[in-house]
Amino acid sequence: MPFSELYFNVDNGYLEGLVRGFKAGILSQADYLNLVQCETLEDLKLHLQSTDYGSFLANEASPLTVSVIDDKLKEKMVVEFRHMRNQSYEPLASFMDFITSCNLQKYYEETLLSSFPSYCFFRYSYMIDNVILLITGTLHQRAISELVPKCHPLGSFEQMEAVNIAQTPAELYNAILVDTPLAAFFQDCISEQDLDEMNIEIIRNTLYKAYLEAFYKFCTSLGGTTADTMCPILEFEADRRAFIITINSFGTELSKEDRAKLFPHCGKLYPEGLAQLARADDYEQVKAVAEYYPEYKLLFEGAGSNPGDKTLEDRFFEHEVKLNKLAFLNQFHFSVFYAYVKLKEQECRNIVWIAECIAQRHRAKIDNYIPIF
Amino acid sequence: MRVDQQLRLDEQLLLFMDQLEALEEKRHKLNSLIEEGWFSIAKARYSMGNKQVSALQYASEMEPLVYVETSVLEGGTAEFKCERKENKTEELKNNTIEDIGAKETGLRRRINTTQKGVKEEEQETDGQVKTKAEPSTPEHRDPLKWFGILVPQNLKQAQSAFKEVITLSAEIASLQSAILATRKEMQAQMEKQEKTEKTQPEIKKE
Repeated sequence: MPFSELYFNVDNGYLEGLVRGFKAGILSQADYLNLVQCETLEDLKLHLQSTDYGSFLANEASPLTVSVIDDKLKEKMVVEFRHMRNQSYEPLASFMDFITSCNLQKYYEETLLSSFPSYCFFRYSYMIDNVILLITGTLHQRAISELVPKCHPLGSFEQMEAVNIAQTPAELYNAILVDTPLAAFFQDCISEQDLDEMNIEIIRNTLYKAYLEAFYKFCTSLGGTTADTMCPILEFEADRRAFIITINSFGTELSKEDRAKLFPHCGKLYPEGLAQLARADDYEQVKAVAEYYPEYKLLFEGAGSNPGDKTLEDRFFEHEVKLNKLAFLNQFHFSVFYAYVKLKEQECRNIVWIAECIAQRHRAKIDNYIPIF
Repeated sequence: MRVDQQLRLDEQLLLFMDQLEALEEKRHKLNSLIEEGWFSIAKARYSMGNKQVSALQYASEMEPLVYVETSVLEGGTAEFKCERKENKTEELKNNTIEDIGAKETGLRRRINTTQKGVKEEEQETDGQVKTKAEPSTPEHRDPLKWFGILVPQNLKQAQSAFKEVITLSAEIASLQSAILATRKEMQAQMEKQEKTEKTQPEIKKE
């Protein structure tokens, strides 16, 4: 509708203000410079106390481990997101569900689980990750009670604990996922074959492809500034997945036809680039495909596997950060919420990387984090 | 006599020093490979996510892929050799042909009829033995597959670093045992030399 900026603040003004406030708390370059000078994880904890994180590690038993730090960082982000999601109206609520999940409490808080409809249309990247984590864990005989606490809290859903009883993708769908939001994405994955590593990988990527395409469609339907800012981000995500899947599939048993089925179609590479990627046999051919697209050409040029070079994945993360920062330059749209979640995730990755370098006393690559602001 | 002894002692000393140097080098390499392996895992976690590369991805019970063969050599030194288990389907096929006896034929025929049809029964009995052998061999899955099929390069690098660590540790163990043996020999030789010095001092003076 025309002049949508005039009406945006009625429903979403408080939340946009809130998310911009949270965004101001994202660690800056100066904070990172302090963190890389820490000698131990206790030092790191001390330095993080002076940031927006505060004393989030105060109640943790020593010795501190990197995995505990990772969990607590995520928890903090989840609390902030949950607060915003609880206050949101449609269509922002659906948008935020698309980012994460319809159940934002931890899986065992059943009261809140029942308050959100599980026939939600939308698919969620964290839910997909959780399903795959549970299936893989079960395949390796891990108890469900051990796996569920490790699931991402933003991706929990009611039927999560039943995932382990499925033996084949068909069972997984018919018995469990058909009532969850992930059902519609599962159409392409159903088969009678047993759940082994190859099938799980294919399921994971097919689910994600369906989710990304649905999210893209949803953003285009929202229109306006949201579409203008979200669509480039999602296109890049689709293309990046195509590149990474191709490169990682060299030397594995994944056939070219199977590989082509995993590429999301909502990016710039569709259709010609994807067709060429499906035929690629080595890294050089992938790079040749990227040459046709100016932004991707730049990313591939800066990457290499010599010591001192950035890896291609680092370049992709950098580009993602750049696109997400751009979302904050516009007002009265929903992309700020998506961008906030993604930037917080990158921040979490940065802090965990620095913590690993400190814990392993391998400080050579400690500066490989990606500064955000 | 004494000159011989001294020469032998010198040789042993040189051997001892060489072995120590080799041990130092190997230990240094072992340490750096282990560091490299863990660091590659940290890099893989950065791109895949912390929970995707963790204890949740593997079973608490697993079958080893590498075996260490121990043997004792003449000098009393222990030797350790690493052997990696390959997919020995050929060998096992022959074994199972002997194992499957008359008891199995009935079952085999039944499976045969449901899958392939009655007419092929007789021809298939031999072939069936071979085909039955394949599913019964435990497939030695590459541990890399625990983390998925499309894993980043870093994880593959970590795996090759740790594989090298295994062979190196066996070598280091053998070398350590050899060094202890050399040292013992040297000490015995030195004592012998002292004894001969005591019994033959007059000859030297002359």
